[in-house]
Amino acid sequence: MVSSRLTPYYFLAPAILATAAIVLYPVASTLWMSFHDFVLYRPFDVPFTGLRNYERLLADEAFWISLWNSFVWVGLAVGLQFALGMTAALILNESFAFRSLARALVVVPWALPSVIIGLMFTWVYDYNLGLLNDILLRFGFIKSPVAWLADPDIALYAVIVALVWQGFPFFAVIILAGLQAIPGDLHEAAEIDGATRLQRFRHVVWPGLKGVILTALLLRTIWVANSLDVILVMTGGGPGYATHTLPLYAFLRAYSGMEFGYGSALAVVLTLFLISVAAFYVRRTMREAFR
Amino acid sequence: MKRRTFLAATTAAIAAPAIVNAQGTTTVRWWYHFDNPQHSPAELIAKFEAANPGIKIQAESIPWGGGNDYYTRLYAALVANNAPDCAMVKLANMSRLLEMRALEPLDQQIGGWADASDISANLWNLHKAPDGKRYYVPLQYVVLYLYYRVDLFQQAGVAAPKTFDEFLKAAQATTKGDVFGFGMRGGAGGHDHWGSFVLGGGATFEKGGMVTPKALEANRWFVALGRDHKVFPPSAPNDGFRQIVDNFKAGRTAMTIHHVGSANEMVDALGDKVSAVPVPRAADGKGWTSFGDESNAIFASSRNKAAAFRWISWLSTNESNVEFNKFTGQLTVSNKGAANWTLHPKRFVDASAQSLAIADTLPNVPATADFLRTVWPTNMQRALLGQIQPDDMMRAIERHYHG
Repeated sequence: MVSSRLTPYYFLAPAILATAAIVLYPVASTLWMSFHDFVLYRPFDVPFTGLRNYERLLADEAFWISLWNSFVWVGLAVGLQFALGMTAALILNESFAFRSLARALVVVPWALPSVIIGLMFTWVYDYNLGLLNDILLRFGFIKSPVAWLADPDIALYAVIVALVWQGFPFFAVIILAGLQAIPGDLHEAAEIDGATRLQRFRHVVWPGLKGVILTALLLRTIWVANSLDVILVMTGGGPGYATHTLPLYAFLRAYSGMEFGYGSALAVVLTLFLISVAAFYVRRTMREAFR
Repeated sequence: MKRRTFLAATTAAIAAPAIVNAQGTTTVRWWYHFDNPQHSPAELIAKFEAANPGIKIQAESIPWGGGNDYYTRLYAALVANNAPDCAMVKLANMSRLLEMRALEPLDQQIGGWADASDISANLWNLHKAPDGKRYYVPLQYVVLYLYYRVDLFQQAGVAAPKTFDEFLKAAQATTKGDVFGFGMRGGAGGHDHWGSFVLGGGATFEKGGMVTPKALEANRWFVALGRDHKVFPPSAPNDGFRQIVDNFKAGRTAMTIHHVGSANEMVDALGDKVSAVPVPRAADGKGWTSFGDESNAIFASSRNKAAAFRWISWLSTNESNVEFNKFTGQLTVSNKGAANWTLHPKRFVDASAQSLAIADTLPNVPATADFLRTVWPTNMQRALLGQIQPDDMMRAIERHYHG
């Protein structure tokens, strides 16, 4: 009796152990480091400093700039990716010539590595030789080239555009799958009942898509909030602190300054913000599981 | 601390691989990085192994990533007691490695190495540690100089500048329409450009050396080149190596600063339209240019120090050093090798040699690596954009080094 009650746990044990090794241990280690003055090139001198790393970040101008930029980064990138993805999915759900080809091509940006996208857009935006300035100059939209990545008022938005281009196919594909899962008879019934296009979207499509969209938004928010590769390649966080986000700043402190203690404190703060998003997702998943 | 040291020592003892196999062959693990990942040292290794039958070289290519990736991996490997026997290293990281007690002093081995005298005394002196010992064996070097477009200078009727004043005049004369006088590198790695004018103009890394009236004035003058005289392209705060080279090749800038590593690429694109001179000097005749180094070091944890030294000293010896530099495009440390140098056009090798008189390295202290990666670029970019005053930038650098 006892053994049968324990059986599920025996089966779960390998997965739990693997999670503990690759998730829980690094998390605990990050927390430990955040309470120490842990500098990688001083491995023999790691004093406990309590909350000093956290006090330091409160007085750190770069932290506050990075935090604000992170909100702008997540809000705009995820919002625009969703809007573009939704539009693309609705178009791709309609019948038109070469639809299959269009559905295949739309995935291309998502399939490209972030570093390639970063490099590609760096050259598109290049001040002297870039494609964007060339087109805008030729068509007379601007009189002189724009330093897209060197102007602190524009740089963050320029990088966001690159990320939107990379990420919108995720929403397009997920929403398209959701659209195709809505039974055709519901559309037919609504049409017979005289529903307009907008009414059909509101009463048939939206309820069917709501769950998919919410999950996609939550996942993408977590990914975008954590992502730093495109920024690192395109601007390295500059000019100044103009494109610093929290994960990038934590990365730079840890891997450039070798200040793993302070970098960990920054990472813990980012984690606390993301936990609120993750908690919402977990609560929703649990509610569905027990429904 | 004691517990950590004990654990580290125990792990090292258990994890240390069997380095000498049954046939008596010693395997030396060596970490290297080449800018062009298609280059492989396999042929060099085969030559060495043929001449040294008891030693096998296990070469591991480590991604460079602007230096960050390479050193993060190296420090992590040292902390985890899984470091290679020897590796390519730069002077800027020596202090950190010394603080980790990771480096093996090599004075004794160098003393017994016949070809050590083929490397110039200047180079050996530049590679000495603050404690007077030698931990590095020089492998290659570059000295930064000023590239200028001969055609654009002729059109503007100016000569290659020798002083800061002449530099400003030349930059202003060549700045016309969409051409800018100087392709300044404001992204990571651009401290060399700043150093030529601000360290050359009197700033130093000694305590208080960044905030003397002379140092502050030199930095104001440099920032004004971009902000007031507008001789830098507006993209300068974010420009990296690729941008400064491509802009120069495309005729969008008339001058820039780099080293012999880019000379062949420049000549391929521009032929005789490109030439080089040492970076300009201040009115008092002083100057500064960056000495770019690359050496090999042996780690204290290595159990194959003798074999490792055979390998790294062989790499720095005459023909093998010349062969090695074919992969990296830099200059040989061997005097005999330099006598028959054919890898770069003479005018760029001459500009490098003439610049040696003012060539120097950044301070050999742990703070330098972070200065290069974040402190300098962030503050330079903010100063160029007017977000902070030039003096704030110098105060930030002073704080970084001296608290």
